[in-house]
Amino acid sequence: MKLTVLQLACVGSLLAISPAVKADGIVVDKVYHPYVMPFEREFEWRLVSHQTDSGNILAQRVGLGGAFNDTMSLEGYVVGERDDNGDFGLSAYELELRWQLVEQGRLWADWGALFELEKQHDQDAYEFTTGFLWEKEFGKTSLTMNAFLVYEWGADIENEWESEYRAQYRYRYRSEFQPALEVYVGEDFVGVGPGFIGLHRFSPQRQLKWEAGFITEISQSEKNHSFRLALEFEF
Amino acid sequence: MSKHLLNVYLVIVLLSPLTVHAQEFKLILKEHLFYPGEIVVPTNKKLKLLIENQDSTPEEFDSFDLNREKVLYPGRVSVIYIGPLSPGRYEFFGEFSPNTARGVVIVEEQDNADH
Repeated sequence: MKLTVLQLACVGSLLAISPAVKADGIVVDKVYHPYVMPFEREFEWRLVSHQTDSGNILAQRVGLGGAFNDTMSLEGYVVGERDDNGDFGLSAYELELRWQLVEQGRLWADWGALFELEKQHDQDAYEFTTGFLWEKEFGKTSLTMNAFLVYEWGADIENEWESEYRAQYRYRYRSEFQPALEVYVGEDFVGVGPGFIGLHRFSPQRQLKWEAGFITEISQSEKNHSFRLALEFEF
Repeated sequence: MSKHLLNVYLVIVLLSPLTVHAQEFKLILKEHLFYPGEIVVPTNKKLKLLIENQDSTPEEFDSFDLNREKVLYPGRVSVIYIGPLSPGRYEFFGEFSPNTARGVVIVEEQDNADH
């Protein structure tokens, strides 16, 4: 019952705010799953290459973190970006908390929550993100969806609310190769494209996960492609 | 389009708290072996595996077939919800003792399933 009240409150907030405010940054990133494994520690590297008519933006991030109890994990990231001028440098720091809200498979669908705080390097600009992580199995396939509310503030940035929506529908063909279709929605952006995820286990508790996707913007005629790649080493 | 997608998402989210009745099946982990090593369960039912880890060390239940990973703490009964499943064999193992701690969930029609 507590969960239902929490869900209603948060969904109500999303309904109230989401139609007017969509994220204006690079929406293509990663679709989060609502699960946390106790004892899990991970090192993560992510890359997003965003190509438009005006140039290419490359963003990379490295992160280190792990679960600190049965249902919560904390991860810290350092983010670097290359701008249109070809300059690559440190751009932001980020702290991310994931919370598994229900036991996997207990309810009709699985639930989690995400809380993320980001500070831009050398700028008085902050971003707080929160939202739901949702997953439902359909036989050998899984549908994962994320809905986020984002608030940006600081002296060097305009204070504003944004929202983001991400989805991934994957076929669990083999652990090493699970093809997927991904959708990303933000302000003036609706992107769709293929992706895949996989996993290789080296030894008990040592495994490498990989994810990749190629997302094409479909709501506008201008060129707007994003390639994303993520590697996670769990130990 | 984005607004419609978000609304679909929110409706689905509101349906998520629905609970589904799950039939229970008990297993024991002892000396890094699962007992029974095979369980026969009915098709298209939500199932609840109750696994008692009688060892003194933790184990991690892992199954790509069942799409589940779960830490089995020593001296405790852990609950793993699986299904609904189609007929077939679904293997699982313990990550810390993958050579010995192995088992399989066999999904068959109701008449042959364990109770």
